[in-house]
Amino acid sequence: MDRLPRGRHGLAPDFVARNQRARLIAGLIEALHETGYKKTTVSQIGRRAEVSKSDFYKHFESKDDCFHVAYEEGVARIRDEIKVACADSDSGWPQRVHGALQALFELFAQEPALANLTLVEGLRAGRGVYDRYQAALDGFAPWLREGAPPPPGGNAAPAEVDLAVVGGVASLLGKRVRAGKTKQLGALLPETLEFTLTPYLGAAEARRIVSAG
Amino acid sequence: MLLTVSTAPRAGAQESPGRPELPRQFIAVHKRRRIMDAIAKLSAERGYEATTIADIVRSAGVARKTLYDNFEGKEDVFLAAFDEAVAELFGQVEAACAAVEGSWPERVEAALEAFLRYFAERPAAAKMCMIEALAATPASSRHYEETVERFAALVREAGPDESGIPDTTAEILVGGVSWIVYQQIRRGETERCLDLLPELTEFVCAPYGR
Repeated sequence: MDRLPRGRHGLAPDFVARNQRARLIAGLIEALHETGYKKTTVSQIGRRAEVSKSDFYKHFESKDDCFHVAYEEGVARIRDEIKVACADSDSGWPQRVHGALQALFELFAQEPALANLTLVEGLRAGRGVYDRYQAALDGFAPWLREGAPPPPGGNAAPAEVDLAVVGGVASLLGKRVRAGKTKQLGALLPETLEFTLTPYLGAAEARRIVSAG
Repeated sequence: MLLTVSTAPRAGAQESPGRPELPRQFIAVHKRRRIMDAIAKLSAERGYEATTIADIVRSAGVARKTLYDNFEGKEDVFLAAFDEAVAELFGQVEAACAAVEGSWPERVEAALEAFLRYFAERPAAAKMCMIEALAATPASSRHYEETVERFAALVREAGPDESGIPDTTAEILVGGVSWIVYQQIRRGETERCLDLLPELTEFVCAPYGR
């Protein structure tokens, strides 16, 4: 986010405010990525955003408040990317899941700080944030189930399985992000896809689809 | 010794002056245990951050000095309690898995049952291991992650020797099971962890073919 020119610039005040707010959120996300939640301070966020501390408090009540806004916006972005990817891919359920995971992996690889915000800090920033992390993951579970074909055995996978798949994939991604391997997430796409399809299609069919590309 | 948080001896169970002295070492071990049980109980009730050294020594019925003779401070107590609980948990899961000679699904079920039973019977330890440890301190998150690794390695080792199972499968399985258990504990339904057994067994077995 570029900072605005200093002094008299003739820009409308609400434009300036929106720009400042967005810069502060970006500043927070970068600071988290570098130093983690506990060590990030309001002054650091302000410095990165080139916004004064007093202006920070015009937009947010506290670091927590800024974090929560950033978190919600980050999750909404992920959701939007996935939605677009699903709309793009052709009709089959496995192709949709593939498109969604691919979009997710690409987004994280391009923006490691976003991956860190949503996957890592979401569990570390304290109790209020656990709930957001949980709500975010819960939001993806029904979407995964939607359109899944009945399994070969006849009985649909139990509902906990959706959550376990989503939670398991998130934990794998989170581990790689913490290990500083966000850029290499793409390499995990085939096996993650296979894993995600397996409870619904059976292991053999999932593997067949993934190896067929 | 088990981490029996709910039945841990309290202040009243301390050595009484009129009786013959218990062996020193026994008392020392016992006090150490009480301190670790206290942090599990307190961090489950109010969270790690809100738990103070004063709370711990009061709850354990030991002198402040005893705590510092045994531990460096609050974090050290927490990590020791976590490590011991996890060692016990891991031992029980490993033993359950090894005791069954049947098929992979049967062994998975036995291992998961031991895993879930451990938590169902020890709600405070469950909260400490599965929730508080995640974020209490950077060192506790590291210990948590190392534990997840150990369980993933166990799945890899014990799993059927089938080629074509990706290396990350064990990691995702352990992450997925932890996530479900995490939610169960946060819902306050720790005692009913075993209800999850059928679903989790199915989830863990799926990648290996039904």
